[in-house]
Amino acid sequence: MSTIASFGFWSFVGIVSGIYTLFALGVQVQFGFAGLLNFGQVAFMGIGAYTMAILVVKEDLNMWVAACCGVALAMFAGVLLGLPTLRLRADYFAITTIAFSEILRYIATNEDRLTGGSQGTINLAGIGRTAQYDGEWQSFLGKMERGLHIGGDAAMLIVVWAVALLAVTAVWLLMKTPWGRVLKSIREDEDAVASLGKNVFAYKLQALVVGAALGAIAGLFYAWQFSFFSPDDFAPLLTFFAWMIVILGGLGRAWTVPVGAIVFGVIFAGTRFFDFPPFSLLDSTERAYVRLIVIGVVIIGLMLFRPQGIFGNRKEMVLE
Amino acid sequence: MTVPILAVREVVRTFGGLRAVDGASLDVERGSITALIGPNGAGKSTLFNVVSGFLPAERGSVQFEERRIDRAASYRIAQRGLVRTFQVPRALTRLSVLDNVLLAAPNHSGERLSGLLLRPARARARERSARGRAEELLALVRLEEHTHDYAGVLSGGQRKLLDFARVLMAEPRLVLLDEPMAGVNPTLGRQLLEHVLQLRAAEGMTFLFVEHDLDVVMEASDRVIVMNEGRVIASGTPAEVRTDSRVVDAYLGAAWST
Repeated sequence: MSTIASFGFWSFVGIVSGIYTLFALGVQVQFGFAGLLNFGQVAFMGIGAYTMAILVVKEDLNMWVAACCGVALAMFAGVLLGLPTLRLRADYFAITTIAFSEILRYIATNEDRLTGGSQGTINLAGIGRTAQYDGEWQSFLGKMERGLHIGGDAAMLIVVWAVALLAVTAVWLLMKTPWGRVLKSIREDEDAVASLGKNVFAYKLQALVVGAALGAIAGLFYAWQFSFFSPDDFAPLLTFFAWMIVILGGLGRAWTVPVGAIVFGVIFAGTRFFDFPPFSLLDSTERAYVRLIVIGVVIIGLMLFRPQGIFGNRKEMVLE
Repeated sequence: MTVPILAVREVVRTFGGLRAVDGASLDVERGSITALIGPNGAGKSTLFNVVSGFLPAERGSVQFEERRIDRAASYRIAQRGLVRTFQVPRALTRLSVLDNVLLAAPNHSGERLSGLLLRPARARARERSARGRAEELLALVRLEEHTHDYAGVLSGGQRKLLDFARVLMAEPRLVLLDEPMAGVNPTLGRQLLEHVLQLRAAEGMTFLFVEHDLDVVMEASDRVIVMNEGRVIASGTPAEVRTDSRVVDAYLGAAWST
């Protein structure tokens, strides 16, 4: 059976899409709703994953508690990032956020004793001793598999998508509230919002922190899915994947994020395994690059013919 | 004389070498409809921006209801009851017309995450009452047909009306209107004017407005303040101002003095 027809392959694509849904949902809250150009979203993913792994391996903490600490620390980092930078103009804010994520990645690469350095989490317990942080996660998945009589991939797929859809629903409901109305108004014109007595800064900070929490949750699943990670997994490229997903699906709507993530996941993970013509003419390394080209072409095509994204609202694009 | 609702003292604001507001002082009486007039570049809009907290004053003070506001953030000033509109109306284009007005609802617990999560029933009740009021205001400015349209489809004049409805939604005690009649059709403008008079009578609301249409100014206002080159050069009743020789020289021209 070819890879393209196997359940293992498609469930992997599904799991990755679910993780990307959570990750990109954070960008949707920050940019799609509040208008914040956050190019450092990957930092929150890294903080979530690293905090959890470090607390489990070094402090012997319960993994679920450590996971909560990871999300909390990412939210706190969101406050620390936002306090000095949210008063900057949009483009300056964008530059600072990308610097923020790169600074954290360099720290993770060079603080060997804290993070395991460039070798990644495998060195967390010290050189030569293989560190593992996901024992509790594997036993949780094992229980689920036995209880539901399903395979490991299926269990992971169900958990990731249950959490992702829960988060999407929560954001969708939140954006229909008066709180969401203020966020969307800030995206449109922050002076007008301030002139009506709303503390624009406080709302931007809240949007940043909500997005940070979503990024951290995505980071946890990323860590559990791959059982190992290193600082290079949190390069800026990942943030731009989230942006592609949000643009693919459509800006300013919660339900467009999982759609964008699935389309992105299929193109990105899928093209790697496309072993039929014309892809079979290329070797596997070349095919790995082809997927980036395919995504680029899809986005260019979308911008030309459907700038609002797959499910975005065209009418909104032409309003001034 | 009663204490003015707004007292501006010796305010200075420069842009590089340009002294846009150059020691302006003025009082606005509570319950009055006061017009602020002057030629282009007299500093009217800059003064509005300083009073509403969008530009810091370099010198001088601004008091609203006997409290200093010249160091306060713009949103705090609005919360205290001094709300302004903009010369170019600021419609939130990708929100509905209704949402534009609802946004201005003051003390809305549903706008806080804590209020939403801890007391959802209270937030919903506040939203219902706000919605009722917003629909009243949209009917008042004749935009009820557009309630569920994007604000971005409105014309310039309609956006002025939307701004007006929004500012009233905020339940202000002092309203600063920056050229409220520009681009609004005259019949509707007249209705708005009547509504301003009625709001003043019913709720004691105070209005300070910049306007270039002198017919409107002379008819609607009970006080007129004249600015020129960043300073206040005259103030008084419409009748006093139109015969003031300094005002005639600076702004009105001879035709108005007779």
